[in-house]
Amino acid sequence: MLKIAKYKLNIHFRFGINYINNFVFFKTTNPMRNYLQKLKALALMSVLMLVGIASAFAQGREVTGTILDATLKDPLPGVTVLVKGTTRGTTTDLDGKFRLEVQPGDGTLVFSFVGFTPQEVAIGNQSVFNMELAEDIQSLQEAIVIGYGTQDKKEITSAVTNVGSEQFNRGNFTNPTQLLQGKVAGLSVTRAGGNPNSQPTLRLRGISSFGANQSPLIVLDGVIGASIDAVDPNDIESFDVLKDASAAAIYGTRGAAGVILITTKKGSSKKGVSNVTINTFGAAEMATNLIPILSPSEFVARGGTDFGSSTDWRKEVTQTALNGTVNASVTGGFENTNYLASVNYRNNDGIVKGTNRETLNTRFNLNHGALQNRLRMNLGLAFTQTNTKDVNGEAVRYATIYNPTAPIFERDFVGTGESAGDRDIRIANADRTFGGYFQRPLFDYFNPVAMINQQQFTNDIKSAIYSYRLEYDLSDKFTIATQFSEDRLNVNSTEFFSWQDFNSGFGRSGSAGQNLFNRTTSILNGTIRFEDEIFDRMNFTFLGGAESQNFKENGFSASSSRYLFDQGANNLGAGGLRFGPGTGMGSFATKAVLNSLFGRANFNYNNTYFFSASVRSETYSGFGKENQTGVFPAVTAGADLTQVLDMGPFSQFKPRASFGIVGQLPPSPTLALGIFGNGNRIPLNLAEPINSVFVGVNQLSNPNPQLKWETLQELNFGLDYALLNGKITGTMDYWRRDISDLLFNTQVPVGAPNEFLPGNFYTANTIWANIADLSSAGFEFLLNVNNVKLGAVTWNPSVNFTIYKRTTIDRIGVGSISLPEIRQATPGSPGQNNNEIVWNRVGEEIGNFYGPKFLGLTENGEYILSTERPEEFEKLGNGLPTGDFGFSNSFTYKNWDLNFLLRGSWGHMIYNSFRGFYENADGASNTWNSVVTKNTPTNPLVTSTPTFSDLYLEKGDFIRLDNLQLGYNLPVKSASISNFRLYAGVQNLFTITQFSGVDPEVRWTDGGNPLAPGIERRNTYFVPRTWTAGLTFTLK
Amino acid sequence: MLRSIKSLFVGGLLAVTMGSCWELEQEVLTGVTQDDLANSQRPELIEVLKQSAYAAVVGNWGGHGGMWSINEVSSDQLAIPQKGADWEDGGIWLRNHRHTWAVGDGAYNGAWQYCFRIVGETNLLLQQYPDVEALGAELRILRALSYLWLIDNFGNVPIIVETDRGGSPAQSTRAEVFAFIERSIKDNVALLPKTNVKTNLNFWTAHMILAKLYLNAEVYLSTTTGVPDPSKARWADAEAALNVIINEGPYSLAPAFFQNFSATNANSPENMFTLPYDANNAGGFNIHQMTFHYSNQATFNLVDQPWNGYTALEEFYNSFETTDIRKGSLREGIQFRSDGVTPVTDLSAEAGDPDGQVLNFTPRINQLAPNAFRQAGTRINKFEIPLGSAPSLNNDFPIFRYGDVILMKAECAFRLGRTADAISLVNQIRSRSSAPALTTITADLLLAERGKEFFAEGQRRSDLIRFGKYTGTWWEKPASQNFRTLFPIPLNQLQANPNLTQNPGY
Repeated sequence: MLKIAKYKLNIHFRFGINYINNFVFFKTTNPMRNYLQKLKALALMSVLMLVGIASAFAQGREVTGTILDATLKDPLPGVTVLVKGTTRGTTTDLDGKFRLEVQPGDGTLVFSFVGFTPQEVAIGNQSVFNMELAEDIQSLQEAIVIGYGTQDKKEITSAVTNVGSEQFNRGNFTNPTQLLQGKVAGLSVTRAGGNPNSQPTLRLRGISSFGANQSPLIVLDGVIGASIDAVDPNDIESFDVLKDASAAAIYGTRGAAGVILITTKKGSSKKGVSNVTINTFGAAEMATNLIPILSPSEFVARGGTDFGSSTDWRKEVTQTALNGTVNASVTGGFENTNYLASVNYRNNDGIVKGTNRETLNTRFNLNHGALQNRLRMNLGLAFTQTNTKDVNGEAVRYATIYNPTAPIFERDFVGTGESAGDRDIRIANADRTFGGYFQRPLFDYFNPVAMINQQQFTNDIKSAIYSYRLEYDLSDKFTIATQFSEDRLNVNSTEFFSWQDFNSGFGRSGSAGQNLFNRTTSILNGTIRFEDEIFDRMNFTFLGGAESQNFKENGFSASSSRYLFDQGANNLGAGGLRFGPGTGMGSFATKAVLNSLFGRANFNYNNTYFFSASVRSETYSGFGKENQTGVFPAVTAGADLTQVLDMGPFSQFKPRASFGIVGQLPPSPTLALGIFGNGNRIPLNLAEPINSVFVGVNQLSNPNPQLKWETLQELNFGLDYALLNGKITGTMDYWRRDISDLLFNTQVPVGAPNEFLPGNFYTANTIWANIADLSSAGFEFLLNVNNVKLGAVTWNPSVNFTIYKRTTIDRIGVGSISLPEIRQATPGSPGQNNNEIVWNRVGEEIGNFYGPKFLGLTENGEYILSTERPEEFEKLGNGLPTGDFGFSNSFTYKNWDLNFLLRGSWGHMIYNSFRGFYENADGASNTWNSVVTKNTPTNPLVTSTPTFSDLYLEKGDFIRLDNLQLGYNLPVKSASISNFRLYAGVQNLFTITQFSGVDPEVRWTDGGNPLAPGIERRNTYFVPRTWTAGLTFTLK
Repeated sequence: MLRSIKSLFVGGLLAVTMGSCWELEQEVLTGVTQDDLANSQRPELIEVLKQSAYAAVVGNWGGHGGMWSINEVSSDQLAIPQKGADWEDGGIWLRNHRHTWAVGDGAYNGAWQYCFRIVGETNLLLQQYPDVEALGAELRILRALSYLWLIDNFGNVPIIVETDRGGSPAQSTRAEVFAFIERSIKDNVALLPKTNVKTNLNFWTAHMILAKLYLNAEVYLSTTTGVPDPSKARWADAEAALNVIINEGPYSLAPAFFQNFSATNANSPENMFTLPYDANNAGGFNIHQMTFHYSNQATFNLVDQPWNGYTALEEFYNSFETTDIRKGSLREGIQFRSDGVTPVTDLSAEAGDPDGQVLNFTPRINQLAPNAFRQAGTRINKFEIPLGSAPSLNNDFPIFRYGDVILMKAECAFRLGRTADAISLVNQIRSRSSAPALTTITADLLLAERGKEFFAEGQRRSDLIRFGKYTGTWWEKPASQNFRTLFPIPLNQLQANPNLTQNPGY
């Protein structure tokens, strides 16, 4: 890893402005033209400078040489070779070779490379210099990818965490971010349930917004905002997580939720070497932790309607999912070129029948250096095709609570005292109406097996990212670069309901629909980078750049109903009804532009004192007219005290502080405008209702020309430390965030004049405005112990934890609007539709549950609640965690290795919806099966009808053995195979928790609503336990 | 070298400064903006815009949880009994029926928003088209209709007109709202057409708004909420407005009572102003979903399963004379599948329900909560439900109909002491429905007559208040305090507008 990181330095360190490309692009953007002249002038100046430097090499003799890595004996590209006391020098090429003119009188050559101890050699008469550079252990070299470049880990003074591939979680993952779960203090990656098609929820340092985006910005090989789907977990080299605002500020209006930079693998630069690596594994998933329910006889004993059969509905809807993954990659290099080409195929069935995810991902990364590697070109092409199949999530609920005495099919039902003729009619009727399934017209009562077989939802997702990058070293100090990338996402979703489906409507006779969605984001940027020792021992790096991004989205949808046959979603014209319930047609498009300018300066004095400052200015078309441009500055400073003080066992003790301001965009680019859209269909002539119809025009959203970005200010104090010569390393961070101008779709007095736009009136109930202030704080801790020897076993433990001070709402209001509280989340039907259970109040934390307190039960099992009056409801708990931890372990013994991760969260409460509706022995017990969990009161049974109280709030604290893998590396002495590894593992081996629901995982949102955390809904997908076995081998 | 660093910085600074000057025009690719609509000369566009303002009236009137619901469930005719867990819904419908609602209960906010959205839509259009005289007059009267509902439900509300700009509107007293409605009608009624288009307001229905306002003047102008003040009565003015309709208007009683509520009721000669619901074009009217039992899905072959909610009170059902055709407004007895022969069953019928599993709507409801039997009580059957109905109905909802003109005139006559006139008018209505003719008239009889005639038409609460009965007791509803004759200013509105003061008593 260390090794690769260093090469990365060489390849990705340098940035600049490619004026030719910029010119072509900026021509299309009128307002930038003036600025462009400046860029051109700058670039021209740089070129002139280069010529000046080059002309200095007029006379003298040539010296050459090869520089190797002292330990690996590999050529070292990118080593700076400098004539001491001058600015003349060069860098080594991909083979570690250099060529340099020296003048008479030149005394010494200095060879330096980041992460290695520099060497000085007297020139004398020598003309060939074959050197070996040794790694500088002291400096704890590690290149960390930061925005628009990399930085030496020792210089970093913001909260940034790097996770390399050897630290990744091991197992069967469909989403790359799952590799990071539990690895980064402050980063929460959660996915409740095991649907292969549901994406994990990511939160960095808790909740930073509740109206705009709350997930960290993904930057994939410099492509900002890339779809995470565009990269296969197998192709990822490393993640760098920019946690605090000072690090993220370089991403301006999109960094408030943090930034995750993903770097994909590159080819090796060794000359003429290519490797083929195959990694393949199979996985078996089984549903685990099913909520206990009554058996058929217990159900009947509790008053349940007896249909005479016995069906284990969950067995009927679940399966052992057998999954396969194959990754094949070719990496190699020749001369100044290296490449990686990979193909990744994953096929994942879900544990619920009818769910599947199949992904084919291909990637091609090419790097080429020309002009003695002064001009470097990178090409990244990735294409991902994903096909998903899903069932109605409610099938999971009905599988748990549907009558266990009901048969699957009507033909298996035996009516008491029924004549054979009546029976035949009944069965024929069910065959015709329900496809033979057993269905009864009771409230909220649908056969789950019918549901998963008679409804289908698919997505066909195509994601492509093209990225082209050019870098040119104007001199050894100036590098200009430009990158153009395009990220395309294309989704075709379909839905289908059989003509015999009872759930979607009786007599609707089926419906089907298709939905197309396209998104294209294109980004063009130019940067210039300058690096030099500007004073004695003062290293200075400057980065400046300009960037323009274009976002386009469009979509089209159509659906129809009333089908004679089950023709799926590919025959919408066969639906008789084109307008009306279950039908429709629509299309939309949006477009937005984001222009940015940014700069960053880093100072490093004697590897002891570090300082950096950055600023980004952004203009976005989706802000209100009155607030189009935001400026986001950051400053950081730190000092490695071991360089100036005797710190005993510490080899690094670097306190650091940082402050930054960063923003967040509105969730859609048209929110500042009052869009007049489609109302009811209006026939102008009632006698001719069809031929005179128009669609009404109503102002569907209220305009707000003042709409702007959210602002997050963050102060971070950290400490990077290393002890016992690097045996123990780690970091600590304390942070505090203040979020202002939070975006929210807030309540307005509908009908009143729009106070943001005189002359307009509120015709919708809400307006997007910057209305709230939040604050939060936290402490993060990371400790790694490297290479602990336990006899022949080497152990690498790493522990991290986070303590959160949950996000507090300091204020909600703008202008004359003030909201002392926002109530959210009703448990749902039956009977709990109007009582919101999460009240977000000013002065309190987000996510407080409010309701009556459960005081006990009467002898008859009736609730004794503290109150029934909403105004007397009490705070019952909070759905957000106060802490997370991850404990990674890696053991090696000879050729064996064992990795596992223990992970957990604490402090969060979860509303257990299954208990909240189905554990009481009440009037509904004759209809729905009851759950009997370890937290269900059984003596006496509760007989009241279910009402929300803290009886159904449970502690979510948990510790889970998230993943474990045992591997064996076969000793290979083959000419064609360089590596052969066998491995087997398990995910979700055990969970220790008091929670009695499906999954104690933190719920940051309720179906996307961040103001209602901590709710486990009844459609939560079952949790699998996954067993994997696979092998990896590399062919030379 | 230092110089070039300097120029870099200067260049960078310049660039950042210039960056703040960039202006990016937002392109609108879907939908249109206010600029596209202002000052259009296209008559069909102006007409569609006007009808779009009416679309706000169609809105959520006929759906569960809004104006209609809070006006009916808080009356002595309808309730939503809690059937175990089903329909507990945080207690809001029990509180509505018992008059113990909390200021944060969502339905009141829904009703408020419904009315004020009409105000916003009309003001926006009036502001855009200040010069189209006829349009302006009609929109102002439409706005007055919304204020008629506001004065009735919330009393002290802000008056917002098209010339208002910025800031939170100030609250007006009920008397000021009264004057505003009266002035709006009087100033504009002359410009309204006398054509009989039931989906738009016209000259006659403007008079109906005025008549309703005067009819309730005792209530609206009383200084003590909930206690009608006879000194404020405007019976004669109400009658005068009604006489304009009776003497000059094109309306007559429909020969058959239920013609007014059929799926094709647009043709009824009695309906004056209706909300033109349409299953496909203008959804939102779903009274069949609200009231019928889940298993009634098979009775009407409904696409969606009904919700088994709104149930008529036993006493009200029993108040109908047996011959009264209007008794058919309530669905009673054993329920059959759409074949009319096979009884529908409720497999979840409670063990204690004397009706067993065969679905049978008996007028008696064992209790309001928590364990009302699922099949207890008669259901709303006033609106025709064609077989195979979608979740939204095609029936137009009558806001004003001529039958009301007759009964309002009867009430004016009664209040003004012309008993004979009153009896004769009431009997016009009764004879149409084969109810035996009255020979005497009392306030109670008038109220009962209105109850039978306008059941489930959203009028009951207002009538009960005018006759002083709203705060009284019935079935499981205890006596309530006078301040409950106005709903609370919804919590969300108090939060969104600091100029609002809560209604007295809350």
